[in-house]
Amino acid sequence: MAFLDNSGDIILDAVLTDTGRMRLARGDGSFKIVKFALGDDEINYELYDKNNASGSAYYDLSIMQTPVLEAFTDNAASMKSKLISIPRNNLLFLPVLKLNEVYDASTKRHSTGYFLIAVDDATETYLEVNTSGVSIDGALMGETPGRGGNRIRVDQGLDTTQISPGRTLDPLLVETQYMVEMDNRLGSLVSHDDSNRASISFVDDDSIATYYLSRGTDTQYVNDITDSSNSAQQAISGPRGTRLVFKVQSSLELNTSDYLFDTIGTTDATIAGNVSPNATLKVISSTIRVTGVNTGYRIDIPVKFVKKA
Amino acid sequence: MATTFKNFLSNDLANTRTLLHEAIPITGSIVSGTYASSGNIKTYGHGMFTSVYDYPYLSSSANHIFDLSVGYASTSAISSSVTSQSDKKQNIYNQMAQYLVGYDQTGSIKKFTMPTDNSSMTDVIFVPFARLLTKDEIKKGSVTLEFGLSASFAEDGTAFDKRGQLIDYSGSNGYYVDSPAGEYGVLYGTSSTSASAHGGVFDGETLGDATTMPAVGLIYYQAGIAVISGSLFNDATDGGVLKDGLGTTELGTSFGATGFNAITASTIEDTNTALRTRIYNVSYNNTTELNSTIYFCRVGHNDFNYSSNPTYLSQSQIRVKTRASDTPVSYITTVGLYSADNELLAVAKLSEPLKKDPTNEITLRVRLDY
Repeated sequence: MAFLDNSGDIILDAVLTDTGRMRLARGDGSFKIVKFALGDDEINYELYDKNNASGSAYYDLSIMQTPVLEAFTDNAASMKSKLISIPRNNLLFLPVLKLNEVYDASTKRHSTGYFLIAVDDATETYLEVNTSGVSIDGALMGETPGRGGNRIRVDQGLDTTQISPGRTLDPLLVETQYMVEMDNRLGSLVSHDDSNRASISFVDDDSIATYYLSRGTDTQYVNDITDSSNSAQQAISGPRGTRLVFKVQSSLELNTSDYLFDTIGTTDATIAGNVSPNATLKVISSTIRVTGVNTGYRIDIPVKFVKKA
Repeated sequence: MATTFKNFLSNDLANTRTLLHEAIPITGSIVSGTYASSGNIKTYGHGMFTSVYDYPYLSSSANHIFDLSVGYASTSAISSSVTSQSDKKQNIYNQMAQYLVGYDQTGSIKKFTMPTDNSSMTDVIFVPFARLLTKDEIKKGSVTLEFGLSASFAEDGTAFDKRGQLIDYSGSNGYYVDSPAGEYGVLYGTSSTSASAHGGVFDGETLGDATTMPAVGLIYYQAGIAVISGSLFNDATDGGVLKDGLGTTELGTSFGATGFNAITASTIEDTNTALRTRIYNVSYNNTTELNSTIYFCRVGHNDFNYSSNPTYLSQSQIRVKTRASDTPVSYITTVGLYSADNELLAVAKLSEPLKKDPTNEITLRVRLDY
């Protein structure tokens, strides 16, 4: 008689993240663990070989041999991709988040691949139009977000041509809440019409601010995508869920001081390529991370905070 | 609705308390041998105690091991003959006594008292061990301090020919709790194996009979301080615990065969130097109290079967499935513990990916130590 397999119960030693330690030290009761999530950051599912001639036992052989790193204590470096619970097991497609740069010129990135955020009035004036008098793609006005129409738009849905966009996205897969994370030293989130400043949920020990924006309550940011046609203005090819639209307001520190530009920034001559006269620009490269709270998918949006030297 | 989190229920948490022990062996060569002369010993301008390190203390690699000091009570028989640092030796005694023994009903500092016979310990050696090594407390019943007790002293190791150990053999079930500094036990003297060949070193001890071992000191477990009676170095005729045949020891070079009475004319620092040359070995087990919360992460058959990993999809289609009816599969490598506002507070990693699909359920026990 063989022993029973007792591998189903596993003991793991957890380490506190830097934010966990910070909250513990604060002593205000904010350190309270109430839920868990599972991650698979190290896994490359491209290694799943479902055509392996040796049989199904060999499909995930490479994946199961993946070495796993020790825990990072930086809260931003762990749990980048989470596992998802969906009550249905017969799904073949899952929704993604995708930057919509095809809606019109106002949602495009700059030719450098970044969204540019002008942090003061002089830079806004400089980046407002190019040498042809046309609005520069991807240039957002950070001091007065209402100036100009450029904005950042993220669409959600099944990005596949195998399913018509005319079909309704399963309600299970519609993202209803977005988490936006950005460096609070550099900027903050505002609505695309500059009518609303988003509320920060918390700022972690690395100065990363987290915003939660929900369908229904944050209508300046999150709305359903109602276009179910094969429109060239849509980034999602299949059934669509919701969209997130926002702008960024530069921080007062960037607006009034060069300290952060000199400390964590650099200069960039490529931006001034189509602007006249050519000016030296100080830039700080960063990312704005958008995560679907329910569906778990996330994208990192590259941005550059720009200041005319 | 799809979700990436699962809330803990009230029965998903358990609290445990574990005592961890480490063996701390300290070889005498660090204290009194070659290493000691290379900068392991730190002295101070005030001269009230000496610190022993495991490495030259000016190095950032050095670890503090213990301190050494001596003192006597104002009621000691030797008090009238002390000519060197009299006040400092009394101050040390009183400071340690008020901390470890406390005050009587009149507010006066009590003397160190041997609980086995209520005799006062008026001339004592203090060995406070560093918190770095003792951690939360010294494990009861694990202490051994071994001294060279040969009568004569020479810097050739012959002082260690006859040795005695101080052990808290009854510590695990015979300790005392009337100290303001926590629990303490008695250090009993017993002859070392080498000394046994000479018939033992302690007066009245019958080798192998624990009840005949003399009480020579106290060990305060939580405070991590050993208080050793100076009688350890005196023979019975001179009021000590050593055999008369062995004789009162000469503590160090040029100290004379006066045993611990040598402190009357020696500074605390010189006495400490002599005492260090008599330390053969020290060992004890420390204790760390580990309070843990265990989170039972119960992953049901329908939980976490999909992934938001960017490689999980190819044009929104799940890579691990060919048709919709195929079983979804995901692989767990990390467990994240979150606050109500989705802030990652703790992380645990698996040693290898764990396959999850709708045919299995898993309980991951995640332990967070404080």
